[in-house]
Amino acid sequence: MEFKSVKEIVDFCQELFDDIGFARAREWKAAQPGRKVIGYMPVYVPREIIHAAGMLPLGILGGGADMEVIHGDAYYQSYICRIPRSTIEMAVTGKLDFVDGMVFPSICDVIRNLSGIWMLLFKDRYVRYFDAPQNFKDDIGGVFYSNELREFREGLEKLAGREITDENLRNSIAVFNENRRWVNKVYDFRAAFPWKAPSAEVYLLMRAGMVLPVEEHTRLMQAYLSAAEAGKRRMRDNCRVVLTGVFCEQPPLNLIRSLEISGCYIVDDDFMLVNRWLLGDVPADGDPIGNLSRAFLHHSAQTAAKYEPDMAEKGRYLLDAIRARSADGVIFAAPSFCDPALLDQPMMISRLEALKIPYITMQYAENSGQMQPIREQSGTFADSIKLWSAS
Amino acid sequence: MTVSIGIDVGSGVVKTALFRVEGGKPEWLARWDARIRQRDSFTLVDESIAFVLEEAGLSRDDVDYIATTGEGESYQGATGHFYSMTTHARGALYLNPEARAVLDVGALHGRAIRIDGKGKVLNYRMTGQCASGSGQFLENISRYLGIAQDEIGALSKKSTNPEKVSSICAVLAETDVINMVSRSIPPSDILRGIHESMAERLIKLLKSIDVREGLVMMTGGLALDAGLVKAMQDGMEKQEMVAQVASHPDSLFAGAIGAALWGAFRHGKLQVLGNFPKAS
Repeated sequence: MEFKSVKEIVDFCQELFDDIGFARAREWKAAQPGRKVIGYMPVYVPREIIHAAGMLPLGILGGGADMEVIHGDAYYQSYICRIPRSTIEMAVTGKLDFVDGMVFPSICDVIRNLSGIWMLLFKDRYVRYFDAPQNFKDDIGGVFYSNELREFREGLEKLAGREITDENLRNSIAVFNENRRWVNKVYDFRAAFPWKAPSAEVYLLMRAGMVLPVEEHTRLMQAYLSAAEAGKRRMRDNCRVVLTGVFCEQPPLNLIRSLEISGCYIVDDDFMLVNRWLLGDVPADGDPIGNLSRAFLHHSAQTAAKYEPDMAEKGRYLLDAIRARSADGVIFAAPSFCDPALLDQPMMISRLEALKIPYITMQYAENSGQMQPIREQSGTFADSIKLWSAS
Repeated sequence: MTVSIGIDVGSGVVKTALFRVEGGKPEWLARWDARIRQRDSFTLVDESIAFVLEEAGLSRDDVDYIATTGEGESYQGATGHFYSMTTHARGALYLNPEARAVLDVGALHGRAIRIDGKGKVLNYRMTGQCASGSGQFLENISRYLGIAQDEIGALSKKSTNPEKVSSICAVLAETDVINMVSRSIPPSDILRGIHESMAERLIKLLKSIDVREGLVMMTGGLALDAGLVKAMQDGMEKQEMVAQVASHPDSLFAGAIGAALWGAFRHGKLQVLGNFPKAS
């Protein structure tokens, strides 16, 4: 598929975003007999292994702003976030009936319980709770995590009915390295020219990567960058902010748009962290499982979703992002009832306050509809930065 | 020298002000305002810019910063946008340097803002979404009573026996007014009753942000309603507040003035930082 303009690319991505029936992934599966699709919940799963099995990794990021949750509410209490409820709703209403397996990364109790519910509801499907180490020493957490990766590989081999060779894995690692490089290029471009790559567009572009084959997503990002670089868009006098705390349940697209309209250029974020969880290339030679394990232990993003044993290091990743992106302030946007994000927030805030970095906090659900208070809050935050800070 | 344009896109009226700032001294060169009346507000913004430029004898290239406020966030021709509390704070201070609080009452909202001597917002509070206590409500009532809007203030001040109106909800208040008309209550007493009801809500807003003394500057369209200003002053005295209420003939333009002045300030700051082009 050839794209010529930013609009064409963004329209295509919007179509994928709006389609919670995953027509594109269904087409991919139907195009060749025996193809399989593996869904995964947000944050991080080693998609390289799914790809190496010849399967399509499919990001399941909840039901979005417009889906009505009816059945999902029966499975969970009211005082938890919305994403597990809307995900169950999608499953029991047949929107995920083509998905051959689901992977639930270790992020919180709610998602862990969701993996259990899935096992009970869909006994004929592959279901994996993908555990992550809380210890980052090679001889302890590394051994545990390598075993976890091997078990995941064996499970998919069984499902695929074929072996996943080391060579398959090395090839997939290289393909995802390439994809990650382009993701980072898009993020770097947006940080340098935020008016040329509005965050809502970048978000849609990254969301497309959740449902498209990785090679196609890489080409899409290449096309977007080349069109956006050539585009003439007007720079506005906005402040520059890092948005953090999102990582799992995604905010409504309108919230992202509202932040930018209100005067905040988002120059870094933690949307769809799976794209940028690993910070650099994973070596594409040698032992692929060992390489993936070491990348996770030593070269992965520090967020609320990853335990940081050294308190002196806590917050370093956010502070580095603020410095690297020349951000004026931080917006903490966390899903309502998200324990990991909201427990992490005070620790992050204490780091910012020590350095007198301005910040605001807000909460949302994937179906939040009222944007006026959000705009007012972020808009006055932008005003205060523009008028009363050194920026 | 900096030339800036401030545009306040309100719910009912678009207001535009063009300023030249030299050596920190602002000079108001041109102004424009028009009721939106179901027209496209951004088309009106374009018209207003053309008008004030012509009035000031300037071209678009002479303008350093175009700042929007109010509902002008999405106007593509702006250099930047400032929020209403920020711009009304600065506009009020321009109109009266003694102001330490602002009461912005427009077509749909009432907003109380506490400020310092530099125009920095210290606290603010808005009325809810209900239209009671706003210009739109008063406009509807004047239509029912068959009274021109510019007659409202003078009539209200003539009242001798104000009739109490619901301050909770515009629908209830409108029902109250219909009943009053059928009971032959004079329009002056009805209007004064409405002004007192609005003042009661607005004083609550001021108190909620700890405004009890100093000068409260009224801005927005209803700042020109002498009946409301009087009801505010009487209401505050009744509640033994030391604060004084003031208005200004240009209070309608407070948001646009503030946007233009902050735009000029911002332009100067960005020039020092060396990272921003002129408005185009």
